[in-house]
Amino acid sequence: MLAGPMSLLSRFLQSPPLRVPTLLAPKVRPGDPRIFSFNGERPHIIHDLVTRVVEQQGRDPERLLYHLNDAANAEVRRLASQRDAEAEVSLDFWRRLLHGLGKMDDDERREALKTIVSRMGEDIAGNFDVRVFGATRRMVPGVLTAIMNPSSLPRELVRSGWPRVDSLVTAEGPIQRLRELAKIGTLVLVPTHASNLDSIALGYLLDREGLPPVVYGAGKNLFSNPIISFFMHNLGAYRVDRRVRARLYKDVLKAYSCLMIERGYHSLFFPGGTRSRSGMVETHLKLGLAGTAVEAFARNVMVGDSRPVFIVPATLNYALCLEAETLIDDWLKGAGQARYIIEDDEFSSIDRMIAFMKKATNLRSAMVIRFGEPLDPFGNPVDGDGRSLTPSGASIDPATYVSRRGVASLDPARDAGYTRELGELLPKIFSRETVVMWTQLVAHVLYRHLVVESPGVDLFGRQRRRGEVGLARTRLVQEVGEARDRLLELESAGEVRVGPVLRNTRPDELVDQALEAWRGYHTKPVAREIGSEIVIEDPNLLLYYQNRLVGFAEALATPDTLAAAREIAALEA
Amino acid sequence: MNSTNETDETNETDGTKAAGAPDETGGPDPSSEPVVAVVGGGRFGWGLADTAARNGRRVVLWSRRPQRPATDQIRVTQELGDLAEAELIFIAVPSPYVGALASQLGEHLDGQHLLVHVSRGMVGAELRPLTAVLRQVTPCRRIGALGGPLVAKALSEGEPGGGVVGTLFPEVREAVREALGGSSLRIYSTDDVAGVEVAMTLVGLLSVATGYARGMGVGPATLAVMATRGMAEAARLGVLLGGKAETFSGLAGFGDLLAAFAGDGRPEVAFGEALALGESPEVAAKRVGANIEGFAVARSFADLIERVGVQAPMTHLLADVLEGKMGGQAMMAALMARSVGAE
Repeated sequence: MLAGPMSLLSRFLQSPPLRVPTLLAPKVRPGDPRIFSFNGERPHIIHDLVTRVVEQQGRDPERLLYHLNDAANAEVRRLASQRDAEAEVSLDFWRRLLHGLGKMDDDERREALKTIVSRMGEDIAGNFDVRVFGATRRMVPGVLTAIMNPSSLPRELVRSGWPRVDSLVTAEGPIQRLRELAKIGTLVLVPTHASNLDSIALGYLLDREGLPPVVYGAGKNLFSNPIISFFMHNLGAYRVDRRVRARLYKDVLKAYSCLMIERGYHSLFFPGGTRSRSGMVETHLKLGLAGTAVEAFARNVMVGDSRPVFIVPATLNYALCLEAETLIDDWLKGAGQARYIIEDDEFSSIDRMIAFMKKATNLRSAMVIRFGEPLDPFGNPVDGDGRSLTPSGASIDPATYVSRRGVASLDPARDAGYTRELGELLPKIFSRETVVMWTQLVAHVLYRHLVVESPGVDLFGRQRRRGEVGLARTRLVQEVGEARDRLLELESAGEVRVGPVLRNTRPDELVDQALEAWRGYHTKPVAREIGSEIVIEDPNLLLYYQNRLVGFAEALATPDTLAAAREIAALEA
Repeated sequence: MNSTNETDETNETDGTKAAGAPDETGGPDPSSEPVVAVVGGGRFGWGLADTAARNGRRVVLWSRRPQRPATDQIRVTQELGDLAEAELIFIAVPSPYVGALASQLGEHLDGQHLLVHVSRGMVGAELRPLTAVLRQVTPCRRIGALGGPLVAKALSEGEPGGGVVGTLFPEVREAVREALGGSSLRIYSTDDVAGVEVAMTLVGLLSVATGYARGMGVGPATLAVMATRGMAEAARLGVLLGGKAETFSGLAGFGDLLAAFAGDGRPEVAFGEALALGESPEVAAKRVGANIEGFAVARSFADLIERVGVQAPMTHLLADVLEGKMGGQAMMAALMARSVGAE
């Protein structure tokens, strides 16, 4: 727990957007990333946001009343149970609104809507401080470590950097093309989501690879880490408070993300909605805010702005995952949906963070971020000049998708259709752009053996078999080697990617390195070498790491292990 | 409430809106509306063309070897590029030809075109729906599948009936209603595209089975059990392939199968009857003059059932029967010998 000065600092940093006075801000120069002009535009963005949402939701008196009632009831309920500083400030406002609603006329209700949307907008909208960005850049690559370990921040600040972080994260994919496309259009990054470190690591990597910064919605709970909160506020993140149940809030969020894309801010959304609890690559996508890419594009076309929007799928692949223990426990409890916000995970524990970073920085390529081929919002590939391409390779005007009989229009139902199709396309891309890490392959082979040794036992029965099942080291090495060969074949067929360490390391070393990676970070040993055997100690963590491979289980199996592989493949359903 | 509008009475105003004779309602003159295109000069293609023409729409029909002459309203072409002037394009060719043909057609199209297929087939061992094929080989995204108890003859003659269009896109729904809907045809809609496509395909297969059973001379009770259990299996397979079970109790599923039972003269039933009488699939297909899609997908479905272990014994055995590996009586005996439980 934070105490004393840290808790003061924490309060200070968490207070609504802490900003350095804009008067002193340096001027934005031509060619600077779009986000550099964010602070200047912030009031306009909020103004547009309020106008748009009030126009959409306030036109019909019945709908207006419904939204106000819904919002007031939901907020009173939430704040009354929260009983925190926020409740002190806001609960009264909502109670008064709830009581007064019946007596208001339509104009007064519209005014109330305006006030609410404006408050929500102010809470959501981020901030971008060029100076904070500049300072962060200078500290990078040390900053990635620094923000995870606030107590060492001053020391890290004066250091010129921590070179090891550089080799910690590897970037793959059409990066040069993305740099070019970022100049032509607006990038909408849609990566897989494994850890709360994802957005931080991505932000760091984008900068390192010469890609522009992105804005993204971060769960308000992430802002509870004071240092991260500071960086997020000032580096363009906007706050998404998942506790707010009011329908209006969703509309405001959508309108905000739509406005940002419309205005050309490169954006990042996690289409899976939340971190993958199982460790599997997401197969069911909510898309949610990412769906606003289509609307933003349509709105721009309607006003004659043909600036393209590029959807950039990406996979984030960790050899070691910070929150693996909490996430897999949550999945096994079947509570993944219910516990949408986990507040007591490794991300909020500084000790765990430090342990993780110590471990991770000693691993080479502990993380691979792989970008997929960019698409237009309608699923068409785009060429280096940003033109959408048809299956026959001809270029096509993406505006035709939001037009009918030559006239561009807004149509939420149509755009929901495009979004659903994108939601069906992305998991296929995620699957083939998944970069398999060595820990995952070793975990898969070990877990497969556990299944072989426990035929007919259900998942939960199997997960209880701690320290009972072992595999001769020589056999493990052999099976890892065979599985890697098969994986390389799958890679040649374009079905998956193989990570650098997994590709270039001897199978016996892969086994050693996997055991080494798990040792020292996770609180429980995943597997232990006892004599000539590798004994499975924590089937849950093993399951987490191997889950990344469920989609490939059958393809990796030998005739002897095929039945077990099929059982593993069935986990995905 | 499911998303199928079939059961939603309020939605039917949309159907009747398209129904009125255009000149009397004071709506837009249909002849000034964009041309409706049909790919495929088979009986079904002509049925669609006739229906649209009856609605006052100009039609352009593509056929490799045109069998019928053009009319005042129906222009016949052998150039796929001529279809680009249309907004709504019906694909009415057998599923094995859809990929190659749509790929050529796609070179002339863009994001504004609306594609709707009417095929009772799915493609390949992995049972790909044709909407997925169309999405892959053309630049079009606003796509749909038109199913239900629609038969060529009734369409051409304007006999009252109905169908259901499965699509995610409102403009596809509206365009199909405007082109085909009217006093003689009610076009319902659903966003369960996968459900409609699996239903269309499996009803095709069940129609063949119906003909086969008739050919064997089984009685009404046997046919009823077959139809009901067959549809339950179809729904299970549909859900497995991403559809919704309720779609199978609508026009695309039971509605369509009822029409086969009522003797709507569809070629699948005649084909099944011919098989039961000992004709080879090739000879039977030639005689009924149609490509029987249900026959082609039976094996793929049987493989899927085995692979996934879903309960669909009848569909599974049908593949053997249609391939002549098992007799109808043996199938019946095998099905009757299964243990029976809650429905």
